[in-house]
Amino acid sequence: MACSEIKPGILVSLQDLRPSSPFFKQGVSLRVTGKLQEYSVETAIAIITDENIRLKIDTQHLRNLNLRLGSIYQFIGELCIENNNEATLQARVGRDVDGIDLSLYSQSLQLLRKFQADHLNNQNA
Amino acid sequence: MDSIQNTYVKLLAFDFLSLSVKSSSSSFSSDPTCFYRKGRPVSRIETVGVVVSRELKGNKFLKFLIDDGTGCIPCILWLNHLDSPYFSRRNPSDVRLLAEIATKHASDVQLGVLARVRGRITAYRGNLQITVSDVLIERDSNAEILHWLDCIKLASKCYDVRPRQIC
Repeated sequence: MACSEIKPGILVSLQDLRPSSPFFKQGVSLRVTGKLQEYSVETAIAIITDENIRLKIDTQHLRNLNLRLGSIYQFIGELCIENNNEATLQARVGRDVDGIDLSLYSQSLQLLRKFQADHLNNQNA
Repeated sequence: MDSIQNTYVKLLAFDFLSLSVKSSSSSFSSDPTCFYRKGRPVSRIETVGVVVSRELKGNKFLKFLIDDGTGCIPCILWLNHLDSPYFSRRNPSDVRLLAEIATKHASDVQLGVLARVRGRITAYRGNLQITVSDVLIERDSNAEILHWLDCIKLASKCYDVRPRQIC
């Protein structure tokens, strides 16, 4: 079944993507959220930011997504890390999430991680 | 009967994918009939997440994946109402209406949309999936966050509580 090979995009904030982070791995599937700062039609490379942290997004595989500077987007895809430790997310899905409450998002994400970790600990206990 | 057995339980994908399956009484049947979460039977689910794959199989069904960040849930939306013997004894105008609704749901399910999906919990070749009865495309970017909080609260206040402890 082809679709079962698609991995879920782990929910991360851009602050989680430092080279020392466990999420900073070649090929890992992630879901990132940030404000669109730059976009080049020629290269299809977009830059999103969150609290001054930037991430390059390769949008060449996305269709039907209008990219507007200043809007907030969420992308799901795989992380590609180059030799100089510069990371690019190869996006396979993107959507406009203007109106999202980013503070609620990051607080809820902490609760979600704790809930998931507790669930796994109980299962293993 | 357990109170959560016939309600649409709100589960995150990792929780849904760890449901236990009990096969039907016949040892020859490969069709599992009962699903349990921490020992409590469940049969219906509601999930919210991003559509990350869609595959239309002729006019028979649409297979798609919902990614909620904790896992991917396979969903199947049947589109064969007009040819299926299952519906042949029902009122033809009702069946036409069901077919129209399913076709509309299938056209709503596009890559990248945030979808709220309700349906029956089923299994196909040992993999858990949702046989879809209802799809709602969420326009509010915060709908997914509120769904996470619902799932967390319901798990601790309701689903994890043994039925006899509920007043």
